[in-house]
Amino acid sequence: MECRVLSIQSHVVRGYVGNKSATFPLQVLGFEVDSINSVQFSNHTGYAHWKGQVLTAEELNVLYEGIKLNQVNRYDYILTGYSRDSSFLETVVDIIQELKKANPSLVYVCDPVMGDHGAMYVPEYLLPVYRDKVVPLADILTPNQFEAELLTGRKITTEEDALEVMDLLHKLGPETVVLTSTDLPSKRGDQFLVALGSQNIVKADGTKTSQKICMDMPKVDAVFVGTGDLFAAMLLAWTHHHPKDLKAACEKTASVMHHVIRRTMTYANEMAGPGKRPSPAQLELRMVQSKADIENPAVVRRTLVLNVFMYQCNN
Amino acid sequence: MECRVLSIQSHVVRGYVGNKSASFPLQVLGFEVDSINSVQFSNHTGYSHWKGQVLTADELHVLYEGIKLNKVHQYDYVLTGYTRDTSFLEMVVDIIQELKRANPNLVYVCDPVLGDHGSMYVPQNLYPVYKNKVVPVADIITPNQFEAELLTGKNITTEKDAVEVMDLLHAMGPDTVVITSSDLPSRLGDRFLVSLGSQRKVRPDGSRTTQRVRMEVHKVDAVFVGTGDLFAAMLLAWTHHYPDDLKMACEKTFSVMHHVIQRTISYAHELAGPGRRPSPPQLELRMVQSKADIEDPAIFLKSFFCPPINTSTRRALVLKRISPRRQSACDRITRDLCLVSGAPACSIHPKVI
Repeated sequence: MECRVLSIQSHVVRGYVGNKSATFPLQVLGFEVDSINSVQFSNHTGYAHWKGQVLTAEELNVLYEGIKLNQVNRYDYILTGYSRDSSFLETVVDIIQELKKANPSLVYVCDPVMGDHGAMYVPEYLLPVYRDKVVPLADILTPNQFEAELLTGRKITTEEDALEVMDLLHKLGPETVVLTSTDLPSKRGDQFLVALGSQNIVKADGTKTSQKICMDMPKVDAVFVGTGDLFAAMLLAWTHHHPKDLKAACEKTASVMHHVIRRTMTYANEMAGPGKRPSPAQLELRMVQSKADIENPAVVRRTLVLNVFMYQCNN
Repeated sequence: MECRVLSIQSHVVRGYVGNKSASFPLQVLGFEVDSINSVQFSNHTGYSHWKGQVLTADELHVLYEGIKLNKVHQYDYVLTGYTRDTSFLEMVVDIIQELKRANPNLVYVCDPVLGDHGSMYVPQNLYPVYKNKVVPVADIITPNQFEAELLTGKNITTEKDAVEVMDLLHAMGPDTVVITSSDLPSRLGDRFLVSLGSQRKVRPDGSRTTQRVRMEVHKVDAVFVGTGDLFAAMLLAWTHHYPDDLKMACEKTFSVMHHVIQRTISYAHELAGPGRRPSPPQLELRMVQSKADIEDPAIFLKSFFCPPINTSTRRALVLKRISPRRQSACDRITRDLCLVSGAPACSIHPKVI
């Protein structure tokens, strides 16, 4: 498989977020990963302390220039995540536009990181940049409920709402949308959260429709960092192998997440000791230890039920 | 296996040098790798163009401070390679000294990158920093012949010289030394180069012993970048698994190198087309494609022990009156080596060193 990904995300010396979270799993799956580090921090910002340096939009451009001058600016995928700087994001958009001209089949996987649980954790002025410039270029989008609501201006209180919001997001650009987590009640009880996905497809007879899926994911009583980055990277990998089957792609992706999170949780609790809450350092994803699960995610049948609803959307 | 490595090397957006070359293989082998990127460049400097930014000594210190403030500055290994800046290198030394205080068992694997084939390709003012500050805190070093000569002030023209140079390097600090390549003539002809290793150990009874190994390594007609970084990383991994058996650690390490390089050269030639020399982008190591070889390197080459030989054995060897058992062992090694390396069968007289 000859597949080259350009991933523009954070780098942390210790731990697994941004490029640290995305690169190893993609490499293990045989993808060539070129990585531009948007920042270099000692560790993620959930620790008591963090220190480091950020890349400016200008410096990003300089790195891209180097790639271009050597005429190696050909990519099959681009992957972006957490960003705090609008000019940096705008430079990313320019780069993607150029790369899409160089390869019209390029797939841009975008995690539109803006916030969660009703609050933004990036500057507010990033929203119009995402909505008007970034998302229109994206092919695969992985917002959470809050981000999906922000981008579409619509609230989600029922599954119907979620399906409509995903259709609105399709209209903004991406053919594939996954709502990575929502507050919708799960049919399996409150130990589960609901995630949904939607993929535009063209049927054999030329009509357009969309495949919609719904997943019940077990909730975990801990705050993980880097899981969203791992999710987007694995969705890239599994939609690559299952480009027209979002159900299969999501099953694999959700399974990887499940195995990594479970392994991490077990280890963290071991390290913390009985009755103590694990620290951010202890909760770092057990990434290298999960290599076998990343390579071959055994689809978890009992704890993870995937209901597939095929909706006919006559566009 | 809970083993954490701090690797302070370059980062390139595209390709495999520095941390890009070291991290994936170590992670694949189950090591936790914390990486400080000393630079971020678009690609390595062998391409027609390269652009990017460097980390200053202060910025390095700031990153280390972050790690320290969170009290997560416990490492089992530190790994360093190519550097161009003396103040950066001196900061690295300070960090390593502090990390060694935090964990006295820490092993510092150092590739003292200074130059090759008779000339330096880093600023001259790095030489005294390596000699006086870096190498003395190193536990494992991987110089090439030029770097070994530079650090010890002694030239290598025979295997005996090489052994003396390795002993001089031991005296400077590191208990494990691997001269990754030399101009010494190979027993297998001019398609091979000679690498040597030396590991000093203390026996349970307190006496010292030194294990020496010699490898005949297949030469390849291409310029690779990042292979030295991969070598140091893999030597870290395999000495971790074989801390008292340098021969085994080297066999594994050199075998990984062989498989990665073979795969890379085949692919490069395919891309370049018949009769054309591959370009630097085409010669980038086929790292992710070599995952299986990295995980479990099929031993490709065999190494010789170079045992210390006493006077009577030496006389016997010279007169070729060695015991049948010894003779057949030598024959077997010779035969294995020739078979495995694909070279035509040759006869080798056991050499005294």
